[in-house]
Amino acid sequence: MQFFARRLSFYLVAFLIAATINFFLPRIMPGDPLAIMFGPQMARMSPETIDAMRDTFGFSDAPLIQQYFQYVVNVFQWDLGVSTKFFPKPVSEVLADGLVWTLFLVGSSTIISFLLGSILGLLAAWFRGSIFDSLATPGALVMQSIPSVVICLVALIIFGIGLNWLPTGYGYDTSLDPQWTFEFAGSVLKHSILPIGTLVVFQMAGFLIPMRANMINLLGEDYITMGRAKGLSGSRVMFTYGARNALLPSMTTLAMALGFVVGGSFITEVVFNYPGIGYIMFQAILARDYPLVQGHMLIFTMVMLTANFLADLLYVVLDPRVRHGGEA
Amino acid sequence: MFFKLLIRNPQAVIGMSIMAFFIVISLAAPIIAPYDPEARVGLPHEAPSSEHLFGTSRMGRDVFSQVLYAGQISITVGITAGLITTFIALATGLSAGYFGGRIDEVITFATNVILVLPQLPLLLVLAAFLGEVSPALIAFIIGVTSWAWGSRVIRSQTLALREKEFIKAAELIGEPARRIIFIELLPNLISIIGSGFIGAVIYAVMTQATLEFIGLGDPTSISWGTMLYHAQTSSAIYVGAWWDLLVPCVAISLFGASLALLNFAVDEVANPKLRAKGALRRYKRMLKRGEVKA
Repeated sequence: MQFFARRLSFYLVAFLIAATINFFLPRIMPGDPLAIMFGPQMARMSPETIDAMRDTFGFSDAPLIQQYFQYVVNVFQWDLGVSTKFFPKPVSEVLADGLVWTLFLVGSSTIISFLLGSILGLLAAWFRGSIFDSLATPGALVMQSIPSVVICLVALIIFGIGLNWLPTGYGYDTSLDPQWTFEFAGSVLKHSILPIGTLVVFQMAGFLIPMRANMINLLGEDYITMGRAKGLSGSRVMFTYGARNALLPSMTTLAMALGFVVGGSFITEVVFNYPGIGYIMFQAILARDYPLVQGHMLIFTMVMLTANFLADLLYVVLDPRVRHGGEA
Repeated sequence: MFFKLLIRNPQAVIGMSIMAFFIVISLAAPIIAPYDPEARVGLPHEAPSSEHLFGTSRMGRDVFSQVLYAGQISITVGITAGLITTFIALATGLSAGYFGGRIDEVITFATNVILVLPQLPLLLVLAAFLGEVSPALIAFIIGVTSWAWGSRVIRSQTLALREKEFIKAAELIGEPARRIIFIELLPNLISIIGSGFIGAVIYAVMTQATLEFIGLGDPTSISWGTMLYHAQTSSAIYVGAWWDLLVPCVAISLFGASLALLNFAVDEVANPKLRAKGALRRYKRMLKRGEVKA
């Protein structure tokens, strides 16, 4: 329990720091922070809206510390101001619309790449030195070092435009109404193949490489030799003796990887015009909609912290040492 | 010894050759490039021909000349950001691991916070507020936001080394901390620092391309990222001018891949357990020929 209390308070502080960065950025830029934040859009807004925005972001004549306090209270109430691009929709609403799509993309691609990457890494370690290993391992590393922009664009050129197999943009066929029908679900699925596929390519190596390294280190352990000496089948030693333990460090990688995927999914959404928060962020950047840009960072911080917390939970389930109150 | 092992590693040789190739052709851009990268030298979107090796862009600029000059900026940004990242990671990781106590607590806390903050959104917010960021500024903001992982690795390695006898001995004979850190600890961290640096360069090249692709960079500078940006905004793929997008894509990918191969090789050389591959293959060959028994 103490373990969780410590982690939760750490996440709280981390979120506060993200909010603090947001608070200070417009203020350390040269010029009037209010004009920087709302810029050209200010002319379109009514005086009441400007006052409300001033309130939300704590722009007042009060001392800085008071402004800061006001801003933090608003952020914790999830009052992120009004989007200037999607005026008069509040930022929190704009982001909530996109979040479903992004979670769908990131969630399914992470699960697929975790399973695929772990299994391939396991096999690469087990058949170390084989042709499979010397192709898969450096291949995965090379894949990992190609920016997602490139992967997405190449996939778009080949499958979307060259072969014309798959739709090139948006989350579903816009001629359909978003309803719970098979036709709509099929359209969503079809539109998600390219984005999810590119994300899997981009992420898989992150699971394959550590899994292989862990497994190779484990294969030298006595209990593995013991398992073999007992005459257990190869697959039993591989999965229940080796994989179970090699998987443990991968769990922390899983949480760390999510931060990386966030970056990848952003680009994927931009290239495929996918209606998630990454694409919304892109539109916000183009329109210099700073409240929305800031809200985007806060919501992604939330996603990251939640993912980390889930990783903590998983760790407790998988590692008895942590469960029984020891240090992680 | 280290270098010899590296040379014998096929991945390292391939990686280093591609990397050297890119560095040489970008440095020699003024000699090799047939045209001024910023001049209009042809019609918009001319297909690759003997006159324009990689075709022309929407603006009628020679893509081949552009990709050469762009390499200069992209590689420089990558290396600069990599140096900044590695320097901060080394300074924080070493002091946290060696001095422990308060210093360790503060640094570890900062590291952990940065690790849970989403990197790209943070960079996007920074870049959006800074406006059209120049390549130098991109290198700087990437450098100061991405050192946390390296710092953590260096700290844990320093902690492990600290317990070794040779460090204890150095402390007992009264060597100053400065000497222990630079003469005793640092040489043992070289492989970690090296692979951390290469990783940081890969990350920086990728991130720069990403930031510039979505239009946060300075569109007048010529780098692989801004080439992608211009190609994308002129809808090059939809009008069939694939070369305009594909050339910078291939350049970024090959350069990144060469660094990744090199990094993989450095890991193998530094960790003997991972290096067993060649020996294993020889052993299997001998088994097949019946020279040894299983």
